Parts: sequence; C-alpha cells; structure tokens
Amino acid sequence: MSINVENVVVEYASRRVLNGIDLEIDAGEFVSIVGETGCGKSTLLRLILAEEHPTEGRVQVQGRERSRPDRTCGYVPQRYSLFPDKTVLANVAFGLEVTSGFWNRNSREFREEALRYLRHTGLSEADAKKYPHQLSGGMQQRVAIAQALIMKPPVLLMDEAFSALDPGTRRGMQRLMKELWRESGTTVVFVTHNTREAVCLGTRVIALVKDGERGSSVALDLEVPHLDFDSDEEELTRLIARVESASVKMDRPASMAVPVIS
Amino acid sequence: MSFFRIDTQPARIPAWVLSWFLFAAGITAYFYAAEQRHRENPDDRVMPTVTQMVRAFQDAAAKPAEGQEVQEAPQSLIQRVRGSMLATDTLATARRFLISVALLFPAVLLGLHMAMFPYMGAFFLRFFQFFDKIVALSLLPILFIAFGIDELSKIMLIVIGVAPTIILDTVNLTKSVPREQIVKGFTLGAGDFAITYRIVLKQIFPRVLNSIRLNLKAVMLFLFAGEMIASTDGLAYRIALLRRHMGMDTILPYALWVALLLFAVDLGMSTLNKKLHPWFQE
Repeated sequence: MSINVENVVVEYASRRVLNGIDLEIDAGEFVSIVGETGCGKSTLLRLILAEEHPTEGRVQVQGRERSRPDRTCGYVPQRYSLFPDKTVLANVAFGLEVTSGFWNRNSREFREEALRYLRHTGLSEADAKKYPHQLSGGMQQRVAIAQALIMKPPVLLMDEAFSALDPGTRRGMQRLMKELWRESGTTVVFVTHNTREAVCLGTRVIALVKDGERGSSVALDLEVPHLDFDSDEEELTRLIARVESASVKMDRPASMAVPVIS
Repeated sequence: MSFFRIDTQPARIPAWVLSWFLFAAGITAYFYAAEQRHRENPDDRVMPTVTQMVRAFQDAAAKPAEGQEVQEAPQSLIQRVRGSMLATDTLATARRFLISVALLFPAVLLGLHMAMFPYMGAFFLRFFQFFDKIVALSLLPILFIAFGIDELSKIMLIVIGVAPTIILDTVNLTKSVPREQIVKGFTLGAGDFAITYRIVLKQIFPRVLNSIRLNLKAVMLFLFAGEMIASTDGLAYRIALLRRHMGMDTILPYALWVALLLFAVDLGMSTLNKKLHPWFQE
C-alpha cells in the first residue's frame, strides 16, 4: 500500500475541518480528490505531504509516518511551483544536484537528464534557457511536473495543478499527465474541484463531503467506473452529474457512493 | 494637460520638462537670491555666487587642506588631485562607508536565519524589534566611551543605526517567500541549509540589495554624525570645520559632491542588481 490515512481528524482553533478520514491508496493508483471549496481537499493533501499533521489519527506514506515533507512525495502546487531565480533547466536539475552531495556533483549529466525530461513533457531546448516568468502558465506546469518526476518519487501530489490554465491548455496537460502516470507507475493524488477532470484522470474518485450538522468533512469513495478522455460524452456527462450530486450532499443515493469512514 | 487625472500618461517632452522643472527652478531661485544679496553686500558669505563656489571647489580638488604638508617639488595634476583636501576627505569617508555597508551583509544573513529557523527567530526577533526603536545617536556618548573616538565607534554607530532595520527587513522578505517553494525544496531532497541558501537567499537577494540601497542615506547620515563629532578627516568633518568659518562656498559644493557620490553608489548597485539577477522583475 502506498498511502494509508487512518481515522484522521484535523482541527484549527476548535474548528473541525476533517472528521475521521480513512483512506487507503494502493501503489500505482491515480486518485482524484474532489469537493467543494473549503471542504479540506488541500488540507488532506498537506497531511499526505507531511507539511501538516493531524490532530488525531495518522498518515503513512510507503509504510511510515513522516515529520516533514521529503523525497517520498513529489509536489506540484497550483502556483509558485518553480524557483523564479533559476532557468527552466536549472529548475528541473535542481533536485538531482542538491541530492548528489558536493563532491559527486556532475552538472552536465544532470542537465542532460533534465533536458530529457523536459523534452518528454513537450518543451524544447530553447525553453530550457528561459526563466519561469518567460513561460506561459501551461509551460510552467509542464516544467513543474518534469521537476517533480525527475526525482522518481513513489507518490506525486498535485494540488489544483491545472486550475489556472485555459481550457485548451488544461486538456493538453491532462492527457500529458495521464501518459506520464502510465509510463512512470507513480501513485498520483490529484486534488481538483473540476469533476470532469477528476473523473477522466482518476482511476478512483474520492469526494470530501461536508457533514451538514458539524460542518467538518468526511471522505467518500465514489465507486465510479474509470472513464477516459475519449469516452462517450453522454456517459461522461451522466457520471459527472452523479459525482457532483454525491459530493455536495451527505444524503447521497446508497448505490452511488460507499463511505470509507466508520 | 490632465494634471489630476489618474488614468493618463504624460507625453515624452512634457514628462521631461516636468521632471527637470524643480531642478531648474531651485537653481534659478538660488542664483537670483545670491545675486540680490551680493548686490546689497559684496562680502556676503551666506549665499556664494557660482564663481565663488567653482573657485572654492577647484581649490579643494587641487590643493591640500590647511595644515597639511605641502610638497615642495613640482607635482603632476594627478598627484595634486590625490593629495587634495577633497580627495583626502572623500577617501576617508568612503573607507568608513564601505566598511559599514560590508558589515550590513552579516546582518542580512542573521535576518535570513531568524526567519528560516524558528528557534533563532524566537531568540533574536523581539530583541531587534526593540533595538530598532533605540535612537542610535543617543548611544553615541556610550560608543565613544566603549570604543574610543577612533574609526570603530563611527562604524559601530552606523551598524547599530542601520543593521536592525536591515535585519528586520530581511526577516520580512524571507517570510514573504511562498511556503510552496520551501515545501517544493524538501520534496526535491534539499535540506534545511540548501533551502535557506540555494532557494530562499537567492530569491530575496535582489530585494535585500534594494533595501540596502534605500538605507544608504541612513548609513551616510550616521557616518556624518560620527565624523562631525569626532574625526580629523572626512567630508562631514570638513563641512563641520568650514561651518565655523562660514565657508559656504565650499560647504555647498561638498554637499552636492556627497549627493553625487551617493547617487553614483545607488546607480552602481542598481545596475549590478540587474546584471546579477536578470530574472528579477520589479
């Protein structure tokens, strides 16, 4: 098992945000997490990242609890994903260089590897010399994905990574992401508020649903069939509507979702 | 012309005229007033004429100060300029100024560590927040007692006066680096110090240089205070000395010379900042 979230509760100043979240994610899965704004999707991601710690319960990645973020999880946030002072190539090679140790540094080798990853994500050698502010939003996220994947993390966490992109670029990035996931076999946890994106990308869709009485969120594993971008549009629309209705209400149809909390 | 419209852009020539207008008006007003005073009293020393100032500045730039040894052997122009009152004073002030500015860089590192390492922040932050409010000039007598009236006390005055501001500014700049960048660093395998120096310091450095640029005047202010009170050379020492003799014909060019030097340092730092950090957008 890649990620194990056990009975997790998160409270901020006596306000409970997450309430008894249980979640098991197997290695190689692509899990989409959906939910309304403020339901705690990003909080759950930060817990897996070990940037935050639960008030109760525990979160294990690769079988161990961690005190802070490390190389176990790659991370692609919505914004500020690249280091502005470094060129695109230096951004992608950064992880390799910083982990190589002072005496084992082989910049040329690392840069060649970085260039290979950049090409793989659809960027050219000319782009490699640019600074992040000289790239479009879509290109920046391509670099961010290459930067994370070059370290071959067992888990890749993406927090609304494509939210700021225009629809065309977003579709391209979704296809690229799915392709990279298939090739790398990395476990991906993808937080999004876009249901279509969640359904088309994820092999599994988890909804964080606000409990009407308590205001805190619980996790529901929506047992939806996995669809692809080329699936029948009618079937896709029907499924999106079902997911959306299930992820905003607690009194969902029993056939639609299976709660993964006790 | 829409002087009070916020959605307007001055054309090139009006913008140029406007930006130089106050300089021209100031110079004209001065020379008009000086002319008037000299018409009433040809020996007026409060507002010297251009000729008087040019002559005094030429003397300062080519002759040694009164009381200094005069070389008997004929000297080249460069040798005369090098031994002149202006050059001697400028070098003395520049040396103190550069040492003081160099000493601000450890302050930057301290601020960086205070913001990055919470225990260091807890240890130093409150102290420097309080220390920043102490008027450095009020400590001058203590500094003279503790460090003597030599160079050290003047440099300490500058450091005490400006360093807390630079430290607190660096703390704020460091804290403004998005959390995502630090988390990203961890996930790419960087440790605490790699994140501090290779991610955060590199990102804040252009802004730190700008902060030091903004504080150059404060550095000069404290330096002048120290030189005026206890020094035997330096630009401020000379101004204080000439004040006793009402030597306005030298004081005014000296004040302009100091402004010009500061302007040059500021321009140099700004150019260096752009060259070193081509990615920096501000």
